Amino acid sequence: MNRRALMLSAGALALSGRTAHAADDVVIGVVYPLTGNGAAVGLDAKAPYEVAADIINGTHAPIPMLMGAGGGLPKLGGAKIKLVFADSQGDPQKARAEAERLITQDKAVAIVGSYTSATGATISQVTERYEVPYLAADNSSPSLHTRGLKWFFRTSPHDEMFTQGMFEFFAGIGAKTGRRVQTVALFYEDSIFGTDSSNVQRKLAEAAGMKIVADIRYRAASPSLSTEAQKLKSANADVIMPSSYTSDAILILKAMAEIGYKPKAIMAQAAGFQESAFLQGAGALAEGAMSRSSFAGDAIKSRPAIVPVNALYKAHNNKDMNDNTSRQITAMLTMADAINRAGSAKPDAIRLALIATDVPGDQTIMPWKGIKFDATGQNTLGTPVMQQISGGVYKTIWPFELAVMEPGWNVGQ
Amino acid sequence: MANAIVKRRRQELVVGGVVLAGLALLPVPIKDVYTQNLIIITVLFAGLAQAWNILGGYCGQISLGHALYFGIGSYVSTLLYLKLGIPPTLGLFAAGIVAGAAALLIGWPCFRLSGHYYAIATVVVGEIGYLLFLNWDFVGGATGVFIPFKGESWAELQFKTAKLPYHFVVLAFAAATWLAAFWLEGSRWGFAWRAVKDDVVAARSLGVNIFASKMAAAALSGGFTGMGGALYAQYVGYIDPDSVLAGHFSILIALPAVLGGVGTLWGPLIGAAVLIPASELSRSYLGGSGRGVDLMLYGGLIVLVALARPQGLVSLFNWRRKSDVPAA
Repeated sequence: MNRRALMLSAGALALSGRTAHAADDVVIGVVYPLTGNGAAVGLDAKAPYEVAADIINGTHAPIPMLMGAGGGLPKLGGAKIKLVFADSQGDPQKARAEAERLITQDKAVAIVGSYTSATGATISQVTERYEVPYLAADNSSPSLHTRGLKWFFRTSPHDEMFTQGMFEFFAGIGAKTGRRVQTVALFYEDSIFGTDSSNVQRKLAEAAGMKIVADIRYRAASPSLSTEAQKLKSANADVIMPSSYTSDAILILKAMAEIGYKPKAIMAQAAGFQESAFLQGAGALAEGAMSRSSFAGDAIKSRPAIVPVNALYKAHNNKDMNDNTSRQITAMLTMADAINRAGSAKPDAIRLALIATDVPGDQTIMPWKGIKFDATGQNTLGTPVMQQISGGVYKTIWPFELAVMEPGWNVGQ
Repeated sequence: MANAIVKRRRQELVVGGVVLAGLALLPVPIKDVYTQNLIIITVLFAGLAQAWNILGGYCGQISLGHALYFGIGSYVSTLLYLKLGIPPTLGLFAAGIVAGAAALLIGWPCFRLSGHYYAIATVVVGEIGYLLFLNWDFVGGATGVFIPFKGESWAELQFKTAKLPYHFVVLAFAAATWLAAFWLEGSRWGFAWRAVKDDVVAARSLGVNIFASKMAAAALSGGFTGMGGALYAQYVGYIDPDSVLAGHFSILIALPAVLGGVGTLWGPLIGAAVLIPASELSRSYLGGSGRGVDLMLYGGLIVLVALARPQGLVSLFNWRRKSDVPAA
């Protein structure tokens, strides 16, 4: 290509760029750890947001859900959503600086993020000060929504709701089979995730009249968990409740198998237990283990949008949607819907529209009852599901109306 | 000779004043909050690196556990503020005192070790501190501590979106550490510490109290680092063990001084002025791609400086080296 042709095509590009943007783009900032600790999850989060933006902006066959028609934001003259990604490196200070940059330089009208609780804490503080909505897609620490923030919203259930779901499941299966959970063993890593999770489990187990026969806190990413496995064996609880990341999850299953201990039931606080690396690494040892999830990829009857959205996602990332990525897509669609209903890209109008959000569950890809924020900004209808590994994949077993198989329940036998 | 030293010190003080005035005036042309934030973090790290330099540079005791003092400082001022309502402007000094005391407490057993053994001990002590805070519920444990915004206040160092107040606060902090280092260079203490750094046996034979010198350097260094931690906590509004006590933070504190020039007055500031913007800008404008290009650039820069200028970046401005270095 000679210089003239190059200049002509560059000019044409510039022109087409201008005419394509009849309505101004609506900029949404997306903050994740793209490098450093947590980068694996953060990098995985790029694809779901891009897919969500494609669903909102692109032209495709209508998908039976919120913002599933495509073609931009109708009430803003077909304006497109434009995503700007920023890297927090999982560091609260950097997350804060990035959120500030997105708001002041990129003119983001809303921020979505951010996986880790620590970065969620500082981003939501920046958005509060700049009066821009922050929508937490996947931060699940209960400490986040109890700080009296006006601009904080969270579509995802938090850990208390997840744990509440576990105990509702225990009650439900106990009533159904007559074999009730009497004793539980808590097993959790020592960072914010495990600590928060075990605190709620302890509280709810006591409230349900269950006896905690083991309460084991371990150092995250331990080289060996054989002492802990021995303790779990001697306690022999009805249900072991682990809050662990991937490598620890594999390690504890192997350590229990080595000493010949087969637990009656395992109910995991997702995390490591939901990772595909865990399913591969633990193999047959994981069979029968249960975990909470906020996503039920098999609930395609009651959530018809799952199939087309997953097809789009798979085309983009060559993976199926999981617990995290489905929540991220849902958060972006919720935000786009609010901006559309607001009919404006002004942050205060978006905030009011978010407050007024009332989306029924079947308009999403989530097994939730729906999306509706309370005064603290928490979605109160984000009810979790329980899943069990059967044949190497997770299958939904609770709520019973969404279940695709009968739970394998060995407690009391 | 004595006159030359006095003259040179006077010159440095003038240069210090000019640099301070220049930094203080930066927000006049720079209105963008992101850049202002970058300057604040850079100046804060310049102060922290200077604090590290007092012990690691002048006294030659390489500490890789300064995150502990930083973390202690940030927790002391934050907890005093949240639990007892003591404003961080006062808590800042409490943070310095407690962190300095911690440095003494740790120095007591650790200064019996020398060289690499001391450096390793500081790593271990830092890690112990991290684990203690991680498992200590009273200080928020792994959940960390969130500092709510209660409205604009100078006493509480809380500002809604304004960056200017923090600009001056961290500048005052960095200037204080610089002045401390400047004073040291010309004082009896400073000479004693540098003697300890160069040759312990020779220093002792000249009547220098080795242990007391190391302890004093540690207390001053730890105290300033703690004050920096208190400012960080109030600026960011959230602290948890991972962000203020983790081991990599100790490296981040030492790195600007090492890169800029260990045991020099200007090394920490020059190092911070190169390192922090390099890391922040590359993350902000390249990090979004998620390919780690920013970290490669950052790492490459450090390697480049270490290879080309092992004495530190400060040696690029070698106006004083000619008179300092005796003919070999």
